[in-house]
Amino acid sequence: LSATRFASRQAPSKDAVRQLCQECFSCPPARLGPLAQRACPAIAASPEEAAQLVAALRGLTRHVVFRGLTRAEDILALFPEDFHQNLKNLLTKIILENISAWRNEAQASQISLPRLVDMDWRVDIKTSSDTINRMAVPTCLLQLKIQEDAALCRNSPVVSALTVELSKETLDTMLEGLGRIRDQLSAVANK
Amino acid sequence: EQVERFLSQLADFAAANKISLGPLKNVVKSILLVPSGALKRNLSPEQVRADFVALGLSEEKASYFAEQWKLNAPTLTRLAVAQTLMINQLIDMEWKFGVTAGSSELEKVGSIFLQLKLVIKKGSEVENVYVELTLPQFYSFLHEMERAKTTLESFS
Repeated sequence: LSATRFASRQAPSKDAVRQLCQECFSCPPARLGPLAQRACPAIAASPEEAAQLVAALRGLTRHVVFRGLTRAEDILALFPEDFHQNLKNLLTKIILENISAWRNEAQASQISLPRLVDMDWRVDIKTSSDTINRMAVPTCLLQLKIQEDAALCRNSPVVSALTVELSKETLDTMLEGLGRIRDQLSAVANK
Repeated sequence: EQVERFLSQLADFAAANKISLGPLKNVVKSILLVPSGALKRNLSPEQVRADFVALGLSEEKASYFAEQWKLNAPTLTRLAVAQTLMINQLIDMEWKFGVTAGSSELEKVGSIFLQLKLVIKKGSEVENVYVELTLPQFYSFLHEMERAKTTLESFS
């Protein structure tokens, strides 16, 4: 973890610092350059300093989230001895405010299999087919909206809809399986 | 493959009774039209018997066939229904769940994930679909499927 010396002569507003922290945390490493350029005038004397600053802020926030630090003392301990006192307190406060949102963000962007984002179902009655003129057979249609791995799609995750048909027997069997999952989950939860 | 089995049974029958296979196949093809039409129109055994008599079969043989129809029609109907067109039929489901211990972004996580593998028949091919659910999503999914089952049952 490398913290950088803020040019305290710049003194941006608290909100600006908050904003910057959030942007640095969420910024993918590859896009730190453009972020630094945008932030440069407000926070640092030169483009190189801005780049260092932005990278350091990202490193700091990500480190806190990675280690799961939740206490102010733990975060304060990360700063070097000679760090500007007010700024240190401000940054710690901002980080503590954002920790749980950032943690959720990290979890949401974790690698995973495609994720279920929505589901709908419908029951149809089949009344006729090429082999039987008249019948009344209920069938279930299930639509799953599935989002591909967020990490692979960066800004525009691909969501596909899959519609699946289940006969009554299939649905019964599926429910048996789901029931077993629920029982196992209860067993784990009660340990 | 069922067709092949049937054809080989026919061939055995022809050999056993010393009939030539070609004409036998034609005859059988014509005969099969009667039960498939009966299935399609959901005919009663009486109607099947009448049809056979109208086609020239003796009373005795027509009655025998009608008896067979009475016994087998429910099974045949069920098979026909099972063969009805299904869109992306779900044929199997496998699952596993576990705990995410850590990741490149979070040293300690401890979140439970559930992974489902759905085996789907698309036309003549089989496709596997993998999907991950959170626990709340799983419970919601279970609840919805139970509702769907209740609805299905109320229409059966």
